[in-house]
Amino acid sequence: MLRVRGLSLRYPNGKLALSDFALTVEAGELVIVLGGNGSGKSTLLKCITRTLKPNAGEIWLGDTNLCVLEGEKLRRARLELAMIWQQASLVRRSSVLTNVATGALGRHSTLRTVFGGLPQSELAAARGYLGDVGLADLAAQRAGTLSGGQAQRVAIARSLAQRPRVLLADEPVASLDPEASEDIMRLLQRLARSERLAVLCVLHQVELAYSYADRVIGIRDGRIAFDLPRGEVSRDAVRRLYISEAA
Amino acid sequence: MSVVARPQVTDPRTGRGWGSALTIATRCVLILIGVGIAIQTFIVVEARPQDLITGIHGMADLIWRAIPPDFSKLPAAFWPTLQTVDIALFGTLVGIIIALPLALLAAANMTPSRFAYYAARGIIGFTRAVPDLVWALLFVTAVGLGPFPGGLALGVHSVGMLGRLFAETIEQMDMAPIHALQLTGARRLQVFGHGIIPTILPSLLGISLYRLDENIRSSLVLGFVGAGGIGFQLLTAMNLFQYQEVSLLLIIIFVVVLTAERISAALRERLA
Repeated sequence: MLRVRGLSLRYPNGKLALSDFALTVEAGELVIVLGGNGSGKSTLLKCITRTLKPNAGEIWLGDTNLCVLEGEKLRRARLELAMIWQQASLVRRSSVLTNVATGALGRHSTLRTVFGGLPQSELAAARGYLGDVGLADLAAQRAGTLSGGQAQRVAIARSLAQRPRVLLADEPVASLDPEASEDIMRLLQRLARSERLAVLCVLHQVELAYSYADRVIGIRDGRIAFDLPRGEVSRDAVRRLYISEAA
Repeated sequence: MSVVARPQVTDPRTGRGWGSALTIATRCVLILIGVGIAIQTFIVVEARPQDLITGIHGMADLIWRAIPPDFSKLPAAFWPTLQTVDIALFGTLVGIIIALPLALLAAANMTPSRFAYYAARGIIGFTRAVPDLVWALLFVTAVGLGPFPGGLALGVHSVGMLGRLFAETIEQMDMAPIHALQLTGARRLQVFGHGIIPTILPSLLGISLYRLDENIRSSLVLGFVGAGGIGFQLLTAMNLFQYQEVSLLLIIIFVVVLTAERISAALRERLA
């Protein structure tokens, strides 16, 4: 589903953020990326969403190489690539339902959605996605009134409304308490299975990776340190990711 | 608990030492400059307090002749009053319609190019720098007497005032939801309609209501240069020494301004 090959990115200040990076995430799979601060985890996601343009490499989403796309073609390709962040990034003054339905904006004509509002079919679908994340009863509430965990669930529902094939998550539980973090990880795992989503999630919480990942990728200094099924990842290998950072 | 004594070169209470002497000298110079500026204003404006005292009789006579207000002119004052309010409404609406797209170009986090940014900032700066009264004089010359040049004058001046405040609001908004929408594949206009507008709308409405409140005050004065409304009526009554009509018009102005101010404040409070 998502294949990254030979991805390299050097920042204008000369720092090599990613070097010859490769990974694959299949449909229905939850892959967790671990690594220290500045190891290149978030840069990897920014490259995949093409917020940053890599210097070399290929990012295949199905049969489409995102690295060669620009403008309208890139926008269309992004429809199949949803992203959630550490902060839920919701429009605080809009209702929860509207926030979820805006995930589908890109699939509809500009004039209709700007002047006529979101189609009823999308609002109905948004209710369904809110049900999927367990927040159907909060549909009419303003997004700004939600707790951190609820807001993150709404962000996930918005990404589902996008009907993506790949879901990227950049430290989605970093600002949540342990219970809410477990909830979100369980939800991502369930959605990967039920929606056949390819989920690539960057985390700092090693224990969550051991509990929920199908595969764990360790990243150090912009390079892959290991890419193994959850059961084969040793504590030592994970520790080395962070020791390297301290040294 | 232990107290660590620090070596002190100068006792701050007595202010002894070169540093303190310099501070005192600087303060004295600043005070002298301030007093100098105040004195020169009195000289330049030719302020003569004694004239105020001698003028009290004239003022008292004027007030005496203005009492009681001529309420028989109330029906005739209705139309100019409506004109005044509508000049302000028209000017504010024109201002909003032009200022909003300009503000998007003039906001550093939204502008599509540096050229658009500087061009928009230039227009906003120019329309704001020229006072509404001057704009009214220009438009009276261009389109003739009446409320229309008044509305145009307030509209153009409002572009500058609203454009700057709108741009600042846009620059200060939380960009995370906007980036999130952009990454869903939404187009620019969709991001604008469903991300930017809901985020900044309350602030924009608050600013616009405040501008409407200001424009109502301004539209009263614009009548003095022939731009219609109750100001024109007031000038005519003054020129004809109809002081009882003047006092009626002043009461109407007071009521209109106060009402507009209260409505604007109440609405802004609800939006906050």
